[in-house]
Amino acid sequence: MRDVAIVSFAQAPLEQSPGQTETLMLLPTITEALAAVGMTRRDVGFTCSGSADYLTGGTFTFVQMLEAAGAWPPISESHVEMDGAWALYEAWVRLQHGDVDVALVFASGRASLGASLRETLTFQLDPYYLAPIGADYVSLAALQGQAVLARDARSEKDLADIVARRYQDAVGNPNAAVSGSTTADELLAAEYVVAPLRAHDVGPAVDGAAAVVLVAGDRAREVCDRPAWITGLDHRVDPHYPGVRDLASSPSTKIAGERAGVSNGGVEVAELAAVCTPEELVLAEALGLGDDVAINPSGGALVANPVMATGLVRIGEAFRQVHDHGKQRVLGHASSGPCLQQNLVCVLEGPG
Amino acid sequence: MDPVQFMSHHTAVEYKIPEPSLLTIHFGEELAKGRIIGHKCPQCGKVYMPPRGYCPLCVVETTEANEVEVSNAGTITTFSVITPLQYQGQEETEDYVQATLLLDGADTTIMVMRMDGIAIADVRMGMRVRAVFPTAGGGAASNSQLIARGMGLGDAVDHWEPTGEPDLTREQIAEHIL
Amino acid sequence: MTATWKLEFPYRRSVGPVIGAFLTGLRDRKVVGVRTTGGHVLVPPFEYDPDTGDAVGDMVDVGSSGVIVHAAWVVEPLRTHPLDRPFAWALVRLDGADTPLLHALDCGSADRAGPGTRVRIRWAAETTGHLSDIECFELET
Repeated sequence: MRDVAIVSFAQAPLEQSPGQTETLMLLPTITEALAAVGMTRRDVGFTCSGSADYLTGGTFTFVQMLEAAGAWPPISESHVEMDGAWALYEAWVRLQHGDVDVALVFASGRASLGASLRETLTFQLDPYYLAPIGADYVSLAALQGQAVLARDARSEKDLADIVARRYQDAVGNPNAAVSGSTTADELLAAEYVVAPLRAHDVGPAVDGAAAVVLVAGDRAREVCDRPAWITGLDHRVDPHYPGVRDLASSPSTKIAGERAGVSNGGVEVAELAAVCTPEELVLAEALGLGDDVAINPSGGALVANPVMATGLVRIGEAFRQVHDHGKQRVLGHASSGPCLQQNLVCVLEGPG
Repeated sequence: MDPVQFMSHHTAVEYKIPEPSLLTIHFGEELAKGRIIGHKCPQCGKVYMPPRGYCPLCVVETTEANEVEVSNAGTITTFSVITPLQYQGQEETEDYVQATLLLDGADTTIMVMRMDGIAIADVRMGMRVRAVFPTAGGGAASNSQLIARGMGLGDAVDHWEPTGEPDLTREQIAEHIL
Repeated sequence: MTATWKLEFPYRRSVGPVIGAFLTGLRDRKVVGVRTTGGHVLVPPFEYDPDTGDAVGDMVDVGSSGVIVHAAWVVEPLRTHPLDRPFAWALVRLDGADTPLLHALDCGSADRAGPGTRVRIRWAAETTGHLSDIECFELET
């Protein structure tokens, strides 16, 4: 296997000019990610992106995004109708072939253009048994929350505590849509949306764009003073229908974590793509994260959910922990599907 | 009764019409004054009309500093004669022409421009035409989204008339015929 | 105020023998599950065993009543939800089934939808062979 490292991560600012196009959110983000390691688009050997046309309703919207990547002269590129974390996985696989050393990964989405994200995301569900009853992602996450609270003497206060911590963690994160000081009691006073979830238990969906640069081999050390080496990368899937699963646990995350080698040395930081609070509890347990692990120091997906980029951003934030904050072993996680159906775990290690 | 073999699933997703970008608004305001603007790429010099805020070939952003005026006269690069299908909701009854035009000064074409003022038999590739705006100044374009995607000038132009100049040759417009 | 537009697709999906048997059952106001090689009865039925990936066995009739496994109260329904008044999503394990079915429970208030509560199917006035033949669950009085 070739050693591949993340050498750069950039995110589009939360504040954009009114009516800003998705292409123009992405263009400077990609330029920034490449420029941080002294590269231009001409240095890229393979490009892979993640997005979902359903967010805007525009067929082949993602093709327009290629103009932000620069597709002339023609480039070698691929796309996944998934969170950009899966585009990163494909780019990592591509780099294993050995003929190119640099991959550009990006993700974007304008969730704000849907009249109801809850309704839109229902289209990813089983068309026979779930879509016809409009079982939206918040409702399904609430059922998972009920399952989680039914065991281990967990309470709604545990959920509120998570929110309070993440909002505090997010202070200083320019990409957080919400941040600041609050208490569990203040949060628990709010009305339910779907019990046990209150509005703050669900990360606010935002428009966003993110880019990551992967470099293989020694070239990574040439362009980056502290690359984050991908030492583990795995993706597993649970069954789709909630009724055939134990919603309080996540076997797919457990296996992905094992295969990614989380416990071969543990991790100092875990950026988990938990869009709803109960998910953080389920994921932390599945990955065997103890109290010594800092979870979502960026605030995580509870402070901003740039749909289709959320998982890539978790991996990017994990990279920042290695590159900017001197951590040695961290993980980034991404998820897709109802109640954490699919889970991707990426373990990053510093040079030492 | 026979076993169920099919299930109907009528899906409907609703979206907000995106607010136009500041650039699209500016383009529309200039158009209302009868002024067609584009952005000239500072690197390769190509002029994009309507301006999109970047050059897709050089992948650099363009701004007001790169604004140039594009002529209201240009050339038909290609066209279609549409015989309207009478589907439910169809409002057209007579044949009509939709043309793709390359305006002088622009390197990109605009599409789906109606050539109603010109006899269908006279419409040809290479023909020189000029925009006539509904008022002395210009016309307000009501569909900014079409404009933003390069779909012509919306309804800002009242009609197109021949300029009477000699046609451009196929070689002269070859790069702009899709 | 924002203008909106709608993207619509009228799909007509083939359902195959397993899902088709379930929908045919609904049309007849009964619930049909499928038995796995391990002996579990899956409701709703799937074409493969989600635990092992094996092909499934015979279709099995199950009851129209059962117990709540988990329920989550919806304060303000979306227009795409089965009911237009507050309701509880309920995963209900019908009598004879080993896995619960998800649908809306019309029970008036959240406190009446606790795990273990017995509920029954309220059938639609007209059935066509569609999940909506189950209008919702209601409390078993």
